[in-house]
Amino acid sequence: MRTLLRNGRIIDPSQGLDTIGSVLIEDDQIIEIGEIGDLSDIDEVYDCTDFWITPGLVDMHVHLREPGQEHKETIQTGTQAAAAGGYTTICCMPNTNPPLDNPAIIDFILDKSASPEAGGVFVAPVGALTKGLKGLELSNLGAMKRAGIVAASDEGFPVQNSQLMTDAMEFCVQLGLPIMAHCDDASLSEGGVMNDGAVSAMLGLKGTPRTAEEIATMRNCLLSLHTGCPVHIMRVSTWGAVEIIRLMKSLGAPVTCEICPMHFTFTEDHIGDFDTKFKMQPPLRTKVDIELLEQALQDGTIDCIASDHSPHASHEVDVPFDEAPFGASTIEATLAVTLTNLTHTGILTPLETVNKLSTMPAQILHLDAGTLVPGETPVAQLTVIDPNLEWKFDRNKSFSKSKNAPFHNMSFKGKAVLTFCGGEIYRDQRFPSERYAIYM
Amino acid sequence: MPQNLLEIRNLEPDQINALIELGRDFKKRVRADEAVPNLSKKVVGMLFFENSTRTRVSFEQAAFYLGMRSSNFATSASSMSKGETLKDTILTLRHERLDALVMRHKSSGAPGLAAKHFGGPVVNAGDGQHEHPTQALADAVTILERKGRIEGLKVAIVGDVKHSRVARSNGWLLEKLGAEVRFVGPRTLLPSQTASLPGGFYDDLDEGLEDVDVVICLRLQKERMEQGMIGSVGEYAHMYQINAERLRVADAGCIVMHPGPINRGVEIDDPTADGERSAITAQVENGVFVRMASFYWCFGGAA
Repeated sequence: MRTLLRNGRIIDPSQGLDTIGSVLIEDDQIIEIGEIGDLSDIDEVYDCTDFWITPGLVDMHVHLREPGQEHKETIQTGTQAAAAGGYTTICCMPNTNPPLDNPAIIDFILDKSASPEAGGVFVAPVGALTKGLKGLELSNLGAMKRAGIVAASDEGFPVQNSQLMTDAMEFCVQLGLPIMAHCDDASLSEGGVMNDGAVSAMLGLKGTPRTAEEIATMRNCLLSLHTGCPVHIMRVSTWGAVEIIRLMKSLGAPVTCEICPMHFTFTEDHIGDFDTKFKMQPPLRTKVDIELLEQALQDGTIDCIASDHSPHASHEVDVPFDEAPFGASTIEATLAVTLTNLTHTGILTPLETVNKLSTMPAQILHLDAGTLVPGETPVAQLTVIDPNLEWKFDRNKSFSKSKNAPFHNMSFKGKAVLTFCGGEIYRDQRFPSERYAIYM
Repeated sequence: MPQNLLEIRNLEPDQINALIELGRDFKKRVRADEAVPNLSKKVVGMLFFENSTRTRVSFEQAAFYLGMRSSNFATSASSMSKGETLKDTILTLRHERLDALVMRHKSSGAPGLAAKHFGGPVVNAGDGQHEHPTQALADAVTILERKGRIEGLKVAIVGDVKHSRVARSNGWLLEKLGAEVRFVGPRTLLPSQTASLPGGFYDDLDEGLEDVDVVICLRLQKERMEQGMIGSVGEYAHMYQINAERLRVADAGCIVMHPGPINRGVEIDDPTADGERSAITAQVENGVFVRMASFYWCFGGAA
């Protein structure tokens, strides 16, 4: 079986490549890119003229909710949504019920995500750093590493005890396991439901101060510098946190960080009249934060863009603001939001965009992904993007079970129209049929 | 056209004035034993998810004067305590053909959610730390009675501003009607950012009270002390209690108000609470009439 993606703009940051050309796939493997010489025995052709051909996108921060909260999302619906969003590899977070804190449950995730009914993307589990996400004692990280976790994190229940975090980092260095850290000083953020600022004062909602994020960011960076443990800071939201990360990187701390699309798109003002779709953790900040976060994306201080896809059921979000859960359904819109708000506005070049959505996350977590180099990944992983497709996100057409989508009804420019992970796992209905031909 | 009364912030000054004038008119008529509009076919649900005897009774009295029937829900014994969502409770009441809801809830914004699902008038009787619009209306009527105007007055709102729905509603109302609003309290009990709120902010009581025409004291909740936001009741009283000595910097005709219940000897001392400057009992009485006005307004009875 030979598949040709013809005449696209090949953008592969792993090779510094941004050129017009084709990609030839044979038996699930990329075998050639660029000017393809041998065009005999082609079985199917996708005409990618004016489209981008990129390494499959990698989302290092996704909540699949299974096991335990299948009413919000399942591995099947979450991975199908990921494929529709252009992703070929996703990292699932450990705050399921029960949490991902032992090898058996890691096996469950890997088996289920590889089943034919699932979306076809690779799922790389992130194990709980501490047993039960309780922040009291370390999980069996060695056994979970052998079972297949790619990082450890207590996600939204970050370790508060600095000695325990030091121990965790020491142990993870030994295992070669990165730590993903949500940075939050709980003594400052307890009870907070939005940014502590002008809007929380007006609405009478308890605010989470930016210092809660910044103090914890500083602590985790310092411990990373001290222990040498690679620490990936999740969902930065304040200009102060970015300044700290910039400083600590310059001092040699092995830290990286991500931003989520909500935090460079929305501000605290979007909460309006208590709209729970905009309840995030960390909370949506201000316009000044967005401006400085954009600068940090440009200068490379922010390494990656992750969706933080956090699906919730409708009945869980149709409640008073302070009772609603944090987070939003985002995985299908993240690429489009990025293209619209960062790429088409000139903040990121196409190469930088793909780097932050694919190559960097793969490199940070040592994943077999994020590149189009033939033979580098177990199977061909690539995404075809129509950068100029104008469309509107409709949560009711989403593959995700969850409809708590802040990007609902927003207009975007750019979309993944074809996702390959071994074979075709998603083709958008807007991919023109005349561009696809089978010769079998 | 039926409408909700959820917050003062989104009302236009002419809407606020209409509510105030209605309240004053109802007061005059009730006191003179004259007829008031009859809303006898209307049933209003009193949905108090937090205890508040005085506000509930005030709304019940208002409903009584308008000939409405009020229906009380003891929410601690209701389906909510069995895990039903607010949305389902509201939908049930809607289909039990209640005509309006009065709602108090611990969560800021909850009455807005209720209004979305109820579809008829909802009156906010206090939501979290957000707003308490009828209290502000009662205070406005009281100020007008005692001072003859609101525009141009200097009004100090003293105490736990950060957690007070009364402070927010009063701040919006007074600013919209042309008063100078000053929020006064310890920094731990003031919002950390104030750009979106009306008025000025003072942590020094003497500065905040200088030349003011009206002082509105706020109730100090015990939990603020337990949270360590102030050192002790004694310290708070020493720094922020309204009494004759502290009022020396205020205008000679300054009046003192309090939404109740009072912590006597804490926010305000006895002689001031019961003295000539005090308008506290007038506030309570005016509460009934502005709540009548609110019902009438919500059912489309005024501009």
